[in-house]
Amino acid sequence: MKKQNLTLRLVLYWAFVGIPLLWGVGMTVVKALALFQ
Amino acid sequence: MFQFLDKSHTIAPPGYNRWLVPPAALSIHLCIGQIYAYSVFNQPLTQLVGITESAPGDWSLVQVGLIFSIALFCLGASAAVFGKWLERVGPRRAMFTSALCFAGGFVLSAIGVELHQIWLLYLGHGVLGGIGLGLGYISPVSTLIKWFPDRPGMATGMAIMGFGGGAMVASPLAIWLMEHFKTPTDMGVSQTFLVMGGLYLCFMLFGVFTVRIPNFGFQISDFGSKQEIRPLFSSESSKGTAVKSSPKPKSEIRNPKSVDANMAIKTPQFYLLFLVLMLNVTAGIGVLGQASVMIQEMFSEKVVGTNRAVTAAAAGGFVGLLSLFNMGGRFFWSSMSDRIGRKYTYSIFFLLGALLYFLVPLTGQMGSVVGFVAAFCIIMSMYGGGFATIPAYLRDMFGVMEVGAIHGRLLLAWSAAAILGPQLVNLLRAWQIEQLQLPAAQAYSVTMYLMAGLLLVGLVCNLLIKPVDSKFHYKTEQP
Repeated sequence: MKKQNLTLRLVLYWAFVGIPLLWGVGMTVVKALALFQ
Repeated sequence: MFQFLDKSHTIAPPGYNRWLVPPAALSIHLCIGQIYAYSVFNQPLTQLVGITESAPGDWSLVQVGLIFSIALFCLGASAAVFGKWLERVGPRRAMFTSALCFAGGFVLSAIGVELHQIWLLYLGHGVLGGIGLGLGYISPVSTLIKWFPDRPGMATGMAIMGFGGGAMVASPLAIWLMEHFKTPTDMGVSQTFLVMGGLYLCFMLFGVFTVRIPNFGFQISDFGSKQEIRPLFSSESSKGTAVKSSPKPKSEIRNPKSVDANMAIKTPQFYLLFLVLMLNVTAGIGVLGQASVMIQEMFSEKVVGTNRAVTAAAAGGFVGLLSLFNMGGRFFWSSMSDRIGRKYTYSIFFLLGALLYFLVPLTGQMGSVVGFVAAFCIIMSMYGGGFATIPAYLRDMFGVMEVGAIHGRLLLAWSAAAILGPQLVNLLRAWQIEQLQLPAAQAYSVTMYLMAGLLLVGLVCNLLIKPVDSKFHYKTEQP
């Protein structure tokens, strides 16, 4: 139970910062694609 | 009322998983990295009166551009001034102050936009926001370096990568918000500032509430895959395998090889590292601001023909690609430095960087866009890598005791480079075009050779760095 709580906390903490970061990276990748067109 | 901000309330309980700490650091850096995307506000801020175009009474681009310079100056100055305070009060109070300053800067700037008073933006985003940047930059780095004594490069790379990623989040967010709030009579900038200030405050408070500092003699455990006992601060902690539950006062966490911040600035190593960071940043930042114009001029229709000319849209894509490499390099190179050492890592930056800068004019002459793009992507990865690796280099030199305070003082090198780099590139380019009558496409060659020269000077400084003399080490037996 304790291990599950820790895993859940780890997932939530990393998702909290990871999702906005991935969104920003995704937007930048889309923008960067213009170079190859 | 604010007791939860005290250092004593931040100490992790026994068995605390250290992988819960990097998100706290990232949440701060992802927000303050917004400063790199400040240019998205440049045009709207110069059209607040005219709306569709600049009108009499509107602020000039030079006036607006000063906000960024003030913010970067205050970043370095506040990191230098408040570094010792951070080490004393702990990361939570420092991060809380950073969040209030950074978000407060947005609110003050929104008022400045509404009243059309530029000085309020200088004070808001420039001074207040800049102080938030400085405190927010060093606090998480100092904390992570203490949690990951076995991988300090990777740990600081994670946080500082967030700073690079912050601009990638802020840029599309700000553009979307300004489009949302824009009306025929309003650019929507003040509303955007308020919303962004609120969002950033909430996001940074997540970091404030979740940050923890390691307990004395904590146990390193990576998801149970490897149990290992490693001393964090002193040889004393390596004796026992049990995790101690009581916090130790500062006097007990002083490593025999640690150097305090006031003593560190008396060592030649500090000034050599200052030059190493400043030269690496100068070489990168000067070109970063010119990247879009440079690729369009070096590969214009006149130079390479209509079919192979680089358009404005493609140049925008090039800038985006550089941002990705700038961010990725922060994590890659700092993690690499844990394996090959800090000195070798910086030697690669300077040698490979100088070589690539020498080759860039050649790619222009050959009309090789691929070669040009590849060279700058690698250069930008090393520019970011330089920022991310320097805290671990400081930790190697001066120990972990006051690494945050020392890092703060060293960040003045960044402020200096932020002013020096772009000025150097702009002045040199203008001199070549106006005085030497060189075509725009060829005016970059001398700049590239100068950047290569700066990097070679940086290499010499790096090679001169030796371990700190024991006379500077903190004396554990104080009278």
